[in-house]
Amino acid sequence: MNTESVERQPSRLDALTVTVERLAESVFITPTVLALLFLSIFPLIASLYVSLARFKIAKGGFTLTFVGLDNYKKLFLGTDRTHFLGAFAPSTPLSWVIFGGVVVALSIFLARYLLNARISIGGLIGRILLTLGLGGLTWMLTHSIWNGGRLGTLSTTLVYVFLGIFFQYILGLSLAMLTVQNLPGRRFFRVVFLLPMMITPVGVAYMFRMLTDTSKGPFTPVWQALGLIDFSWVNNPWGARTAILIADIWQWTPFMFIVLVAALESQPVEPIEAATVDGANPWQIFRHITWPAILPVSMTLILIRLIEAFKIVDLPNVMTNGGPGTSTQSLTLHAFINWRALDLGGSAAVAYILLFLVTFFGMIFVNLIRQRTVETL
Amino acid sequence: MNTKKMLVKLLTVMIIFGVLVTACGAPATEAPAPTEAPPVATEAPATEAPAATEAPATEAGLIYEGVTVNLLTFVGPQVAEPLQRRGPDFTALTGATINVITVPNSDLYQKALTDMATGTNAYDAFLFAPSWIVDFAPAGYIEDLTSRVEADEALEWNDVAPFFRDFNSYNGKVYSIPLDGDMHMVYYRIDSLAEAGLEPPKTWDEYLNVAKTLNGTDLNGDGEADYGSCISKAPQQQSYWWIWSIAAPYIQSQGNTQGAFFNTKDMTPLVNNEAFKRALEVYKETGLYGPPDETNQGVGDSRGLFISGRCALTMDWGDIGTLAIDPANSKVIDKVGAIVTPGSTEVLDWDTGKLVPCDATTCPYAVDGVNHAPFASFGGWAGAVNAAADEKVKDAAYAFLSYMAQPAQSNADVVVGATGYNPFRISQFTDQQAWLDAGFSQAAADSYLGGIEASLNSPNMVADLRIPQNQKYIQVELDRILSEYIAGDLTTDEAAQQIYDAWEAITEEVGREGQLESYKATIGAK
Amino acid sequence: MKRWFESKSINTPSPVGAILSYLILGLWAFLILFPLYWLVVTSLKISSQVAEGPFYIPFVDFQPSLDAWHYILVGDLSKDTLRTFTNTLIVAPVSALLALALGATAAYALVRFEYHPRVGSILTFIGCLILSVVTIYMGVPWQIALVVSAAVFIILLQTIGRRFKRALGNNDIAFWMISQRMLPPVAVVIPIYILFQRLHLLDTHAALIITYVTSNLPIVIWLMRDYISTIPIELEECAAIDGASRYRIFWSIVLPLAIPGLVATFLFVLVFTWNEYLLALFLSSANSQTLPLTIAAQNATRGPQWWNMSVLILLMIVPVIVIAIVLERYITRGLLIGAVKG
Repeated sequence: MNTESVERQPSRLDALTVTVERLAESVFITPTVLALLFLSIFPLIASLYVSLARFKIAKGGFTLTFVGLDNYKKLFLGTDRTHFLGAFAPSTPLSWVIFGGVVVALSIFLARYLLNARISIGGLIGRILLTLGLGGLTWMLTHSIWNGGRLGTLSTTLVYVFLGIFFQYILGLSLAMLTVQNLPGRRFFRVVFLLPMMITPVGVAYMFRMLTDTSKGPFTPVWQALGLIDFSWVNNPWGARTAILIADIWQWTPFMFIVLVAALESQPVEPIEAATVDGANPWQIFRHITWPAILPVSMTLILIRLIEAFKIVDLPNVMTNGGPGTSTQSLTLHAFINWRALDLGGSAAVAYILLFLVTFFGMIFVNLIRQRTVETL
Repeated sequence: MNTKKMLVKLLTVMIIFGVLVTACGAPATEAPAPTEAPPVATEAPATEAPAATEAPATEAGLIYEGVTVNLLTFVGPQVAEPLQRRGPDFTALTGATINVITVPNSDLYQKALTDMATGTNAYDAFLFAPSWIVDFAPAGYIEDLTSRVEADEALEWNDVAPFFRDFNSYNGKVYSIPLDGDMHMVYYRIDSLAEAGLEPPKTWDEYLNVAKTLNGTDLNGDGEADYGSCISKAPQQQSYWWIWSIAAPYIQSQGNTQGAFFNTKDMTPLVNNEAFKRALEVYKETGLYGPPDETNQGVGDSRGLFISGRCALTMDWGDIGTLAIDPANSKVIDKVGAIVTPGSTEVLDWDTGKLVPCDATTCPYAVDGVNHAPFASFGGWAGAVNAAADEKVKDAAYAFLSYMAQPAQSNADVVVGATGYNPFRISQFTDQQAWLDAGFSQAAADSYLGGIEASLNSPNMVADLRIPQNQKYIQVELDRILSEYIAGDLTTDEAAQQIYDAWEAITEEVGREGQLESYKATIGAK
Repeated sequence: MKRWFESKSINTPSPVGAILSYLILGLWAFLILFPLYWLVVTSLKISSQVAEGPFYIPFVDFQPSLDAWHYILVGDLSKDTLRTFTNTLIVAPVSALLALALGATAAYALVRFEYHPRVGSILTFIGCLILSVVTIYMGVPWQIALVVSAAVFIILLQTIGRRFKRALGNNDIAFWMISQRMLPPVAVVIPIYILFQRLHLLDTHAALIITYVTSNLPIVIWLMRDYISTIPIELEECAAIDGASRYRIFWSIVLPLAIPGLVATFLFVLVFTWNEYLLALFLSSANSQTLPLTIAAQNATRGPQWWNMSVLILLMIVPVIVIAIVLERYITRGLLIGAVKG
């Protein structure tokens, strides 16, 4: 130790530096929190009030008359019921099997929690809500899909979200793994694969409208060859939904792709090298090294995409206007149609139900799956 | 601890002070500012609306020098282009700058409404749909133009067809200036029908017959099967207008003041009866003779199909007439005929809900035993002035709208398809020269203009629904149930019943008495 | 024969693997490029050529025309196109950068620091925020409203706020942030419109930028959280021992290592803000309109003008592609290799 490392007297500047350092915690996060609060609380509360009111144009401006839960009642019990929840068919054996299976699984889950050591009121309420919610949704879905039932906007949205995300993730992951390999020209593929996401959603919607046109689109010779020239997918509810799903998958797979590429790329290479030296085959490497490494990012990715997917509106609006009938209408499109016709209360009610739905699934996802998977690492 | 108490006291004082200041002091920066032009002391509006085609009177400078008018409409080229083209001319004449702001068509209504309802008033004038007057006028958003119109000779208001004069008024006052006239007509292929020995259809049954016969034949010589009828059926597009063109002749036979939407005694909807159910079936049946993806087509698509020669019949507003003669895009030049929308030989007995045959009492206005009831849907694009703008700006805005609507400009615009303006002045139908100059053949001009004239002169015309909450009746409930019906999810009876129930629910919610009064006022019933 | 299935090195596939990979990648690339090709072809058509059925190759199937391109770039729409293009070019990258800056710092904070905001304090804060917003809405000048609300907050905090002991954690804060994205824009458009109207910021770039930054912050935070959490904490600890301040550690060590994540996130936010439609429609009027509005506007009374739309869509993609190409190289591997050892 040399003589120059003498203790310095704490100076004013030091004190300031220490304070600034301690404030780092706040400084880093406060601007963000403020920004979010400023622009999010007010619209949230305003929409809540609007959903409990009726909007009317009046002299000099407009009026919002409080009507309580009327708008919600209309959706669940009133004239909008089949539009929103769907038309239910009588139960079939298949629907009983599925519904029964789900109920049993949820009951086991609930029972395990009750028998477990630490129970909290919040946790209990949460899990009961989960059971009721998932059970209700399963009932709704199993009774609308088969046997002459019709899907409402709620069910249609769920179909778009879960089927869409499933395919987007699988495709995105496969493509990412292929592009991460040391292949000449992979940069070209990476850039090309980014393209669909870059197109404005309204543009993608019009583009697919053009592509899927059975009389003017590029696939017309294909339809003719298959003898389908007189059949149009627009007249079939599931055909229309499939077309929208294809467009959705086309557009958003790049989102999964690019995040997974970044995640795969930033994996440290030593464990993989070590495992190969030890004789592991690619599948084992994937399962034990790569998968756990990208799991956290995947979970975030799916959560973000989940939240965005629930808001799908441009594709059904432009491609099919929500048709045939209302079978491709998503919840946001339902809200949008109401809003266009000045039923602001009805529109806000649907939007709030969407908010509850997304929060419901978001919390399920975050609380149960994320923590559990991360813990097993 | 003492410091803390002091701090608390200080803050409390600050708060009280702040609240007092804001409660009492009038915040200076709050007035939503449209334009800064100070209201000039104007004389009576009569002298402020000069005929803009004459040279402005003042020597000291142009009348509206320095005034800017922000005009909101939708992105062109249709409808917006003439405004943008003639804006500079108007500036040269009067000194006012016309700033045309465009937004997507589907969002025009929302933009205009939000702008005025929230007091933003960024726009001084609008080019929009006159059916929106029913929302904007009672709320005092748009300016009452009656006195200006009465004093405006150059506008030649009486040359505007009576129907359009009515449609741009509300409660007897004029709120907008028509620049474009709109109503449905049926267009047919003169050559195809003649070849098959068919007459242009006068009733909807005949229409279906013609469509069925010609469906699957080759109408444009390309060797491929074409369609008998092209009437678009996509949800949230125009189907809620087409259905009324079909239903009107079945429901209304006693003249304009009878109405076709509601029973004028008790405001019950006229949908759960044989007439409307027949109309539903007709509408659905036209789909059998059209393109397979018709349920996903809007009027733009079906129009395109007709112009490229792939349809024998179609129903549309006036655009087809001017588009058909366009040598660049049309494959049906000189092959298009226009007729008043088909009628019916049976009409509704309002008391029994059943269809009864047409005779002198039930169909006093029948032509050759057929009751026609042209449906004036949508009404055409018109210009209105924001009531919250400054006087001088309002005057300038009115002057510009008048300029656009005056025969010198308007007659030139309506003959050109690309402008999107269709005829609305009597002189535009009677003076065929302009049309012939624009490229119509004599036969085409006769047919097209004849069709429009027959429609406008009909004493049994049905006006579009203009009561409060009409969007909810038509664009939300009717459209949804109609699209479900077309998709096969509902039977005819179910659809009619559901429309009835949905409309009754809205009427109950809004107030039956009020709605009945409004309805009777808009159709002129007693 | 066996050589065909052997890979040369850890990340290079075997010849068979390479062929399979190329097949799949090529197929997907075709699926992506064909629609874009169709856009290009459509942009060279006129309306009758579109209505009559599919024509695939210019000069072979149909006579291409530059009408649509002319109309958009040089003709009647060109002034609109230029203005909206410039606006988008300004608003989108600025919002993306701002969101990235704020979001990355917040994400770092959420990963490295531990927050325990008390429920009471939060509720008080929200209450005062509502107070300030309501008073702004009612017409009070925003400066006074903010000062008053801040004062009320401080007072209430001293008295009531500390009462409730229950506290939330980092994960709750993060979930709250992502939940901001859950409400569909259609529900918040009008309240936000009114808010900006009161602030006299309608039809300005500022309104759009503020809105876009706040709506995309949650995504930045969530993505960066995961990227930052993969950075070993030992690096930072080393630096701290050497006397570096938090800010310095963040700036010099964490950020450079998080570059792949930063770039990917920047691209996302850029794409979201570049393509956003509904809020732009309402917050902009004449001056600050952005390009997506022009595309939607091509669906005119005549029906969709496919040719014009195709041109606009292609125009919109080009700058983003260029940026993507330039930035793509930063999403590469190996930045962490040797970091701990070195």
